[in-house]
Amino acid sequence: MLALAAAAASALAHDAQTNYILHCQGCHTADGSGLEGKVPSLRSTLAPFARSREGRTFLVQVPGVAQSTLTDAETAAVLNWMLRNLADDRQIAGISAFTEKEVAGYRATRLVNSREVRAQLLAKIATNNP
Amino acid sequence: MKWLDGIAEESTRAVARRSSRRSLLGRLAATLVGASALPLLPIERGAAAEPEKTDPNAPQESGDPTTCEYWRYCGIDGFLCTCCGGSLTSCPPGTLTAAVTWIGTCHNPADGKDYILSYNDCCGKSGCGRCLCNRNEGDTPLYQPFLSNDYNWCVGSKGDIAYHCTVSRVVGLAK
Repeated sequence: MLALAAAAASALAHDAQTNYILHCQGCHTADGSGLEGKVPSLRSTLAPFARSREGRTFLVQVPGVAQSTLTDAETAAVLNWMLRNLADDRQIAGISAFTEKEVAGYRATRLVNSREVRAQLLAKIATNNP
Repeated sequence: MKWLDGIAEESTRAVARRSSRRSLLGRLAATLVGASALPLLPIERGAAAEPEKTDPNAPQESGDPTTCEYWRYCGIDGFLCTCCGGSLTSCPPGTLTAAVTWIGTCHNPADGKDYILSYNDCCGKSGCGRCLCNRNEGDTPLYQPFLSNDYNWCVGSKGDIAYHCTVSRVVGLAK
């Protein structure tokens, strides 16, 4: 089992942080805060989104993630790295890690109206946590 | 109107009692020197904060940064700031660095390592026009937009969308 895990890890071309830098940081910046009015910040939304199924679906289906050249396993690793390192909310112990299978399941569906879905999710989170 | 004269005279005399001509000259000189320093302020010095030179992981350097063949330019598409009044990592005076950048990796033949490079566009002045390089390693076509370098990254700059040249900053080692 361990050997299998090691083989799977070595199949990844880069580690998760490097993949974040190569595939995400160019626009979302090194700390995930983005650029006001142009690139949304990941910091405040990562943890709240990752707590619900529809939020997790959005995090995978958003075009920058779904259309990246990363494999499903690499994408899951990057999302987990981002949760641990970029989320403003440090109470992430209860959030389950993304898996390759979960990413593959969400990624197969194309998200067309990402802005609207994001706004709806934020409104829902605000209603649930007044 | 005599009362107005009185007030003016009294206040002038009060100023004269409190201050000397020498102090006026001193303040005037400070203002002049201060004002002459003002035009220097708006130049962005983002690269000054860059830890590259003191970093033990900094790459070994070889080659000429004013030519397209220089190792850091493997994915570049634009004018080299080293030919445009800037440096390898800092924008020329009068331009602003775009925060949003194209990021890729380049192999450094001097130490045999792969480095992550950030190509930051310098914005706010029209195209420099010198040292155009178009090597594009790792660049994808526009229909694969997230790794395509054919954008004007100056849309992510406060210097508006006018593109001037590009700097190449080492972000770290590709692990």
